[in-house]
Amino acid sequence: MTPRRPLRPLARVFSARARGENPDDIEAEERAARLRARHRAERLKAEHRLLLLAATFVLAFGTVAARMSVLAASDPEEPRVTAAEQRIVAQRADIVDRNGAILATNLMTASLYAQPHEMVDRVAAAAGLARIFPDLDEAELLKQFSGKRKFLWVQRTMSPEQQQAVMDLGEPGLKFGPREMRLYPNGRLAAHILGGYGFGREGVHAAEVIGSAGVEREFDAFLRDPANGGQPLRLSIDLSVQAAVERVLAGGMQLMNAKGAAAVLMEARTGKIVAMASLPDFDPNQRPLPPTQGDPSDSPLFNRAAQGVYELGSTFKIFTVAQALETGIATPDTIVDTSGPLTWGRFRIRDFRNYGPFLTLSDVIVKSSNVGTARVAMELGAERQKAFLGSLGFFEPVPITLPEASKSKPLFPPRWSEISTMTISYGHGLAVTPLHLASGYASVVNGGLRVRPTLLADTPAPTDADRVISTETSRKIRQMLRAVVERGTATMADVEGYRVGGKTGTADKPKRTGGYSENKVISTFAAVFPADDPEYVLTVSLDEPEDRSGREPRRTAGWTAAPVAAEVIRRIAPLMNMRPLPKETPEDALTVRTGN
Amino acid sequence: MTFLDRSQRQTPTGLTKLLHMNWALVVLLTAISAAGFLMLYSVADGSFDPWASRQMVRFGIGVVLMLAVGLVHIRFWRSVAPLIYVGGLLLLVFVDFFGTVGMGAQRWLDIGFMRLQPSEPMKVALVIVLALYYDWLPPEKVSRPQWLLPPIVLTLIPMGLVLMQPDLGTAILLAAGAAVVMFVAGVSIWYFAAAIGAGVGLVTLVMQSRGTAWQLLKDYQYRRIDTFLDPGQDPLGAGYNIIQSKIALGSGGLAGRGFMEGTQTRLNFLPEKHTDFIFTTLAEEFGFVGSVTLLGLYALVVIFALISALRNRDRFGALLTTGIAATFFFFFAVNMAMVMGLIPVVGVPLPLVSYGGSAMLVLLAAFGLIQSAHVHRPR
Repeated sequence: MTPRRPLRPLARVFSARARGENPDDIEAEERAARLRARHRAERLKAEHRLLLLAATFVLAFGTVAARMSVLAASDPEEPRVTAAEQRIVAQRADIVDRNGAILATNLMTASLYAQPHEMVDRVAAAAGLARIFPDLDEAELLKQFSGKRKFLWVQRTMSPEQQQAVMDLGEPGLKFGPREMRLYPNGRLAAHILGGYGFGREGVHAAEVIGSAGVEREFDAFLRDPANGGQPLRLSIDLSVQAAVERVLAGGMQLMNAKGAAAVLMEARTGKIVAMASLPDFDPNQRPLPPTQGDPSDSPLFNRAAQGVYELGSTFKIFTVAQALETGIATPDTIVDTSGPLTWGRFRIRDFRNYGPFLTLSDVIVKSSNVGTARVAMELGAERQKAFLGSLGFFEPVPITLPEASKSKPLFPPRWSEISTMTISYGHGLAVTPLHLASGYASVVNGGLRVRPTLLADTPAPTDADRVISTETSRKIRQMLRAVVERGTATMADVEGYRVGGKTGTADKPKRTGGYSENKVISTFAAVFPADDPEYVLTVSLDEPEDRSGREPRRTAGWTAAPVAAEVIRRIAPLMNMRPLPKETPEDALTVRTGN
Repeated sequence: MTFLDRSQRQTPTGLTKLLHMNWALVVLLTAISAAGFLMLYSVADGSFDPWASRQMVRFGIGVVLMLAVGLVHIRFWRSVAPLIYVGGLLLLVFVDFFGTVGMGAQRWLDIGFMRLQPSEPMKVALVIVLALYYDWLPPEKVSRPQWLLPPIVLTLIPMGLVLMQPDLGTAILLAAGAAVVMFVAGVSIWYFAAAIGAGVGLVTLVMQSRGTAWQLLKDYQYRRIDTFLDPGQDPLGAGYNIIQSKIALGSGGLAGRGFMEGTQTRLNFLPEKHTDFIFTTLAEEFGFVGSVTLLGLYALVVIFALISALRNRDRFGALLTTGIAATFFFFFAVNMAMVMGLIPVVGVPLPLVSYGGSAMLVLLAAFGLIQSAHVHRPR
């Protein structure tokens, strides 16, 4: 380093003074020179750094280009017969329902490939194939047959008639390989549960069948494992019930002008799913590709029952009330202040209709009062509410064996404020899947044991370790749910002989732009039957329903989801060997007095 | 005063600025995008629908956006740099809480007419704010530890938010872009050496933690690393993409199979053929010649940008240009390396070629900043 030059060299100052100049000019001059030198040094450094950077980039470019040339020079791999191919295991286990009826099985067909160098008449072969398989193009085939390749796949699967037609061509260069494909004999039935399949490694003598979604994907390893000896995978689904649920749900969706619908039918004591439907649906035999445009949650592939998280509205009130009973802060006869609207900060909570200044706790459920529920929730407090909802599993994905469900995390506010406590008490601000809802209902009505939904036939029932509320609270809850159907918001859900209980829920849909939509709702009915000793829980959700039979379009769940649920129960109860029960005796009937 | 004098000595004003833009860059970007349209047309089986047509519209909007950004004085961009950074952070925070979940990660923000991926603008915003910082910081302080802290914090905040989504690839790209700006700004080489050493240590730690109670990565991330090290062990799962894309590259050979003739991609062997793995289609259909040409185009973009930076005496403009060029470089280098199996699969698209709206618009807007720095450089 050069020694620092002084800013005011004495000699120059003196000589300047002698010349009669201002010595300060010298200092200014020196400062400017120093600044210039520093700038030059910095600039040089920056340029060096830039050049170094450029050199690094060039090196990286070189690596990529070199790699490219190595790959380009490598031999193109054909799906030729290799030793590895012998290991392809084509046997995939069947999937059956709880009674052993086939849901998915295998079908032996043939794949078709060409070896152009062995062909006798390429033109005739191309023309013949184009005739047999309408989706093949003759010119395209001919071009491929005339190319250099010695191996070409023509068709992956085909019908026996097509195979015979190809044989009749008598072309030695066209060859068949055995090919096992997956078949879903019931078509669209239980499509979302089963999922679909695709081919993995393909060889001439076999190809691997891989599950691409649903149970097929979740249990792919099990279904493929030869160690299981072809033993089928038994699901908890009942094929005939599933069919009835889908049929009625599709009719109900059409009748109510909804754009989508979901239903879950679950054994209340064990959490085994008897039927699960999501509409619109698809055919797993030809599983469509995921859509590239539009909202993925409107796609037929989307499982609304297990994958879609929705705010499910007033159906949630039962959980608030269950907790109030359990903690002992209220009984079904406790008078609750329902004078509205309830103002909290800038929020106002109001009821669908004004129910007067007070109701009993039972009537808060029967009439579905938001204000009353919110006041009860405030008594409980955020912490207890959160703990209770957590114990029912509302904050984590449903622990069910479906790859789609495990990715659907419920949405809830990160900061659980007082206003969250109030809105969540009546089902707004917390979004869960219909499957969550069904298992929540099952847990509070079956005597208070938390169930974990499952699709497998062999699953143990919950034990006392899974208790979330007492049997006594559970009994009171059942009575309230029955009262909702007898004289509350869901009178249309009553089915003679099956003592349906349940709760309606109508939630405004959130808009993509924020806020809530004025006239688009998700209406849900969560039913339990028979209410005095529930065997099954059924939830029906309709997406954007609109009953246009009256003067004004009606969207509330009591008018839309409840009657659809009733029709489902009417159809499936006999299928599940349930006997119609006699009219309720006074002992069974509600002992709860009306509040006003 | 002749036109020549004027053009050399004065910063142009008004619409004459258009004449002084770096048109070579515009031409190169157009050429790359055109290759993209061609490929999107091809993977859709010779149809402009659903990808090519929309990509072309976006490119049109993007070019106008680039020129508009370029016309605004670089002084303005410097003054709003902190705002851009804070805005980018807010978008990231927003997506962490309200974003749409797609493909297992929460990365998208639905803003009505398009879906925005806020990590894209964040890459540029970070470069801008770091360029501003080093423009403001006297150069002799650059390597002092206390002055190193602010840029590191500025980088770690968005990285953390992106990792929450979780998106490891973007987080690494953010760090790499920031590192380049710091490097060119003159931060001592020893810091970089230390950082690389720490990185190697961290990787060792991550791999050691596998299977223990304090496992640092998610299982699927470990699987991706395994697959990278040996794609053959899981040929149908995570290794599938890589094997298929290598086959595609191999089957392309020197001159390729010809436009619309690729079989690997045509027969739907490759998922994501229109996004992250679009390069394989190009390699198969146009072969080694085609892929090297595209690589060359990318290289030229970076070279032209670096030349512009070298000739710019304004420190902010030069740093900004370098940073954006580096971001662009990492973008395609990572994608190509991933497709060719040089590095593990991370979800990074091929810039301007892969189908995707926000990435293209943000990139072109960023090149607008390069144009602005170029047009308004001190003469």
